[in-house]
Amino acid sequence: MALNDAEVGRYARQLILPAWGEEVQERLRGARVRVAGGGLATGPAIYYLAAGGVGTIWVDDPDPVAPGDGAGWAFGPDDAGRPRGVASAAFAAAANGLVKADVFRPGSRPTAVLVCGANMDVSRAIAEEARLLQLPHVVADVDGQGGAATSVPVGAPCYACATRPGLGAAPTPEGAAAVGALAALELLLLLGEIAQEPRARRLEIFRGTPLTRATARQAGCACNAGPPGPSGY
Amino acid sequence: MTGRSPAARLDLRQHVCPVTWVKARIAMGRLPEGAILEVLLREGEPRENVPRSAAEDGHRVLLLEPAPEEGAGTWRAWLERGSAVEDGTWP
Repeated sequence: MALNDAEVGRYARQLILPAWGEEVQERLRGARVRVAGGGLATGPAIYYLAAGGVGTIWVDDPDPVAPGDGAGWAFGPDDAGRPRGVASAAFAAAANGLVKADVFRPGSRPTAVLVCGANMDVSRAIAEEARLLQLPHVVADVDGQGGAATSVPVGAPCYACATRPGLGAAPTPEGAAAVGALAALELLLLLGEIAQEPRARRLEIFRGTPLTRATARQAGCACNAGPPGPSGY
Repeated sequence: MTGRSPAARLDLRQHVCPVTWVKARIAMGRLPEGAILEVLLREGEPRENVPRSAAEDGHRVLLLEPAPEEGAGTWRAWLERGSAVEDGTWP
């Protein structure tokens, strides 16, 4: 279905970007993204997914908001004690009234996953689940004032293969903002089908130096075994 | 322009940048290559930017003229759809 006037007005500044266009925006509108992991990058990532026009955003984060959570992105002082998924969904809806945002519920059927794990073990588990379900996913790893965004299209080398040690520094709000935004953009490019090769890649920002590299399978990894079963939750 | 006529018409006089060009770009994307889109523009920024953006996007500006019969300060442009409307690169 063609974009309506409200959508054209809302997305005008990205519709004039090279290769973006109406079809890309329609693909984003049809996307359903599960945002999972509860990490610091969740707020920025949700904001940019919503601003980019992802049609449905489901936030999978049942823990309560603690004082100081979110670095001023998704949560305000009044959110303390609310489930973070509920507060994040409200934040997404406020960022763009044209998107649907809710908490992730059993039976929901996302078309992609944005992984914002609170640590690498959490991210690895969620990314592996997405891989087995044949869902494209992007993983945001915040590491100090930077971090990495790993794009895993369906059939690509898995997140575990792509990951390598970073600085191991405690996440900072500015690192979360940069990596969350970067991860959201990577997922928008995958969903819009305009990501350039290599689409399976890892973008790293460490010590202010950006680096992009194609990901590769590690010998013996389960992702070498070819596609798993049918997609779906 | 003998023998040719627009396949579609778009009145952009109520819009401002960047929506003027966005709407024209979307309308161009819905036309077959070689078809003509007629757009009505206000003088000033839209009259300057829409034809220029169309040319930069790979289309041809066949006509750009005042159209006082449509209202004071109105301009008419005929944009011929090129082939590169959805081309471009992204990192």
